[in-house]
Amino acid sequence: MDERQRAQVLGALQGAGGLTEDVAALVGTQTGVPEAEVYGAGSFFHLLDDTAVKLRMCTGLSCAMKGSRELLTAAQAAGLPAAECSCLAACDLAPAALREREVLPEFGSAELDAAGGDWHAVRPEQAAWCGAVDALPGELAMDLAGERDRSGDAFARAAELGAGAVIAEVDAAGLQGRGGAGFPAAFKWKAVRRETAETRYVVLNADEGEPGAFKDREVLLRRPDLVVEGLAIAAAAVGAREVWCYLGAESGGPWRSLPAEIDAAKGAGLYDGIAFHLHAAPGAYICGEETALLEALEGKRGMPRLKPPFPTQVGLWGRPTLIHNVETIACVPAIVRNSGAWFAGLGRTGPGTKLYCLSGHVARPGVYEAPLGVSLDELLEAAGGVVGELKAFSPGGASSGFLPASESGRPLDFKSLAEVGSMLGSAGIVVLNDAVNMAEAALIQLRFFEAESCGQCAPCRIGTRFLREALEEAQRPGDGEARRAALRHVADAAWQMNEGSICGLGQAAPLPLTSALKWFPEDFEA
Amino acid sequence: MIQSRHQLSLNGAAVSFAAGETVLAVAARAGTAIPTLCHDSRLEPAGCCRSCLVEIEGRPRMAPACATPAADGMVVATASERVARHRRTLLSMYLADQPAGPERGGHSCELHAMADEFGAAPDWPKMAPLRAGRADPNPYILFEPDKCILCARCTRYCDEVEGVSAIALAKRGPATTISTADGRGLLDTSCELCGGCIDVCPTGAMTEKMPRTAAAPPERELEPVRTTCNYCGVGCQMDLNVDRAANRVVKVTSPPPGTTTNDGNLCVKGRFAYDFIGHPDRLTTPLVRAQDGSLREASWDEALQRAADGLRGVAERHGRDALGFVSSSRCTGEENYLVQKLARAVFDTNNVHQCSAT
Repeated sequence: MDERQRAQVLGALQGAGGLTEDVAALVGTQTGVPEAEVYGAGSFFHLLDDTAVKLRMCTGLSCAMKGSRELLTAAQAAGLPAAECSCLAACDLAPAALREREVLPEFGSAELDAAGGDWHAVRPEQAAWCGAVDALPGELAMDLAGERDRSGDAFARAAELGAGAVIAEVDAAGLQGRGGAGFPAAFKWKAVRRETAETRYVVLNADEGEPGAFKDREVLLRRPDLVVEGLAIAAAAVGAREVWCYLGAESGGPWRSLPAEIDAAKGAGLYDGIAFHLHAAPGAYICGEETALLEALEGKRGMPRLKPPFPTQVGLWGRPTLIHNVETIACVPAIVRNSGAWFAGLGRTGPGTKLYCLSGHVARPGVYEAPLGVSLDELLEAAGGVVGELKAFSPGGASSGFLPASESGRPLDFKSLAEVGSMLGSAGIVVLNDAVNMAEAALIQLRFFEAESCGQCAPCRIGTRFLREALEEAQRPGDGEARRAALRHVADAAWQMNEGSICGLGQAAPLPLTSALKWFPEDFEA
Repeated sequence: MIQSRHQLSLNGAAVSFAAGETVLAVAARAGTAIPTLCHDSRLEPAGCCRSCLVEIEGRPRMAPACATPAADGMVVATASERVARHRRTLLSMYLADQPAGPERGGHSCELHAMADEFGAAPDWPKMAPLRAGRADPNPYILFEPDKCILCARCTRYCDEVEGVSAIALAKRGPATTISTADGRGLLDTSCELCGGCIDVCPTGAMTEKMPRTAAAPPERELEPVRTTCNYCGVGCQMDLNVDRAANRVVKVTSPPPGTTTNDGNLCVKGRFAYDFIGHPDRLTTPLVRAQDGSLREASWDEALQRAADGLRGVAERHGRDALGFVSSSRCTGEENYLVQKLARAVFDTNNVHQCSAT
């Protein structure tokens, strides 16, 4: 069967309106993929699977703190076909809802009442929207509030330098992957570059889904020029002629801005010889994991592959592939234009500036570009302070667990956060005030990981559910002894998930619970 | 022992290996047992059950032995405290997700056997049941999703060995299960009811529907009797699983992969069509017709004589080409040879055919 035909599966399912009866057989006939596999792939993604649901409420931490669960209950009581969903990358504009494929920021109960039980009437008119961006003083690698640059100068400069020199600049910049792992970008560029296979690919990971993170959304809405030019530079440097963008299907705004930017660049005669493809990501957090993303691009279930081999060797359709997050790629034009040393000098405890997302109990939520290694205290100052008294924060999305207020002066970089058992991740910072019970906050995060586990390996599939059940049991009213007993296997289960899971999702999933237990044991006693 | 330049260290001992072997294969050859649930030598490694994780020096994370190619100088530990704790906690987790209750008749659970061998904490609470079964009117294959550990041996077997792909992994997270397209019954899919999914299932989540199997003792108490399947001429070897107490066949399995020509496989007839063995309608002696058309028991000599007389009579009355011989697809090559010999040499006709020829 032709690999490109299989790659049509998810798009064909989306075109058919999702996985209604007999659609799997139809798409199977069209693509030559066995119908059971089509069904298996489609049912993996929540935007394809449950076609009866028209309205989804994000029940992630930031949205839950703004009452999204109550909204969901109200919507269901009003007879709307509503269900919960995972993060919609609009934590700064919480609570967020999803009407079919369109994110509705700052969704309110008044809108529910006005709809009168008809989901078509829920905010039917969509206006273009974006969130707030700001920056700390100093030079910026991305400058989200800046003017778009369609000159193609950085690409031209890269062509002058040659691939080897471009990669040397990325190396000198010390650019680390902004998707969460902080892996040195130049290492991957060199690895793909030195592969002998004729065909290679560049893949853009634009399926933002870490609860607390919404920076890629703002980059794509405000500076898609940086993304397209960065991709072109990367493709030329590693010898790829095709770029595949895996873009969240619910990202209405970016679905308009990114293709428009590609068309504009192509229309201006830029990036000759490089083809850009867009692929809709139909809803699965795990597809932020690079190999799960590749599986989805190939039209399969988004289950992470075993590594090694790494995508730089065996990637999309088995070919060497360079995969980067939106923000990582958006840093590339400035590195080429100003030099790697310049970029490295922007940071404080690590190289470059970084986009920090602030949401939760903060006066001015938004995306803040700041030197890598800035502290939460500094960011909060720029964001107008905490609403209430700072109790805890999640420095890098759900996967980073929680840290207590006493860590608010710690540099927010990859290394420093790892030292306290947390991580910078995608820098989706959720600020929690003293009204929050940390056991309840941990439960929200556990529910998220349980819903988003791909189900492939037992430690994650069973472990996420085991921890959630244990915590629910521990929260039942009763004597303290029984409640403590409910948590007696948490340490062993967390150890197993961390050691036994195939990918980072399962490895990180216990962290919200174990970190809350570590820093806030009193919240589990009440 | 393979003589090879390649060597690795396995729990401190030097072991040779051939290029392309996995750590699991090397360890098995060296007599070091590594537990597996999702592994099947006929299938591409999935590495998803996690039971075969071992420590490899220089790697921060434990690696699945089934999917890790052996490499020169690799230092592998399968008996460390870390590996032991891994097996213990993993098995505890698996068992917490398994329904309580005895094994299904005619089956043995690899998971429970593994837990007995490597230890699992007995006090992990049982988790809430999650996946309800689905009614499927097919007569042979029963799927109980709450016993399923999602090792995907069945789906991969259906795809990689049978090339049928009637079932696949479906849904996500804790809802992940094995399903046909749209959750249809197997009879409405490409399924050939070969029952290979039952054969590869380590936990008895896929089992025979036949009440005879369900009522049988566990597999380890059954006596396998090796025989050759006579449904066609391929010559598949199969084991009739006999319940000695009841003195009857209660299920049919294939010998393990790699041991016989059928390589662990059977078809729907070989695996499921054994009810005839003890059926009251089964003929156990030749019958011949009396003048009034009724059947009576006869000896083989008498029956063969009657057949020979009848055939000769047709040839004498209507000519030799009034006879035709069609042999059954159940005949072996040797038997087919004898049939054409019978036709040509004895009855002097070339009217001979075999029903599976086109």
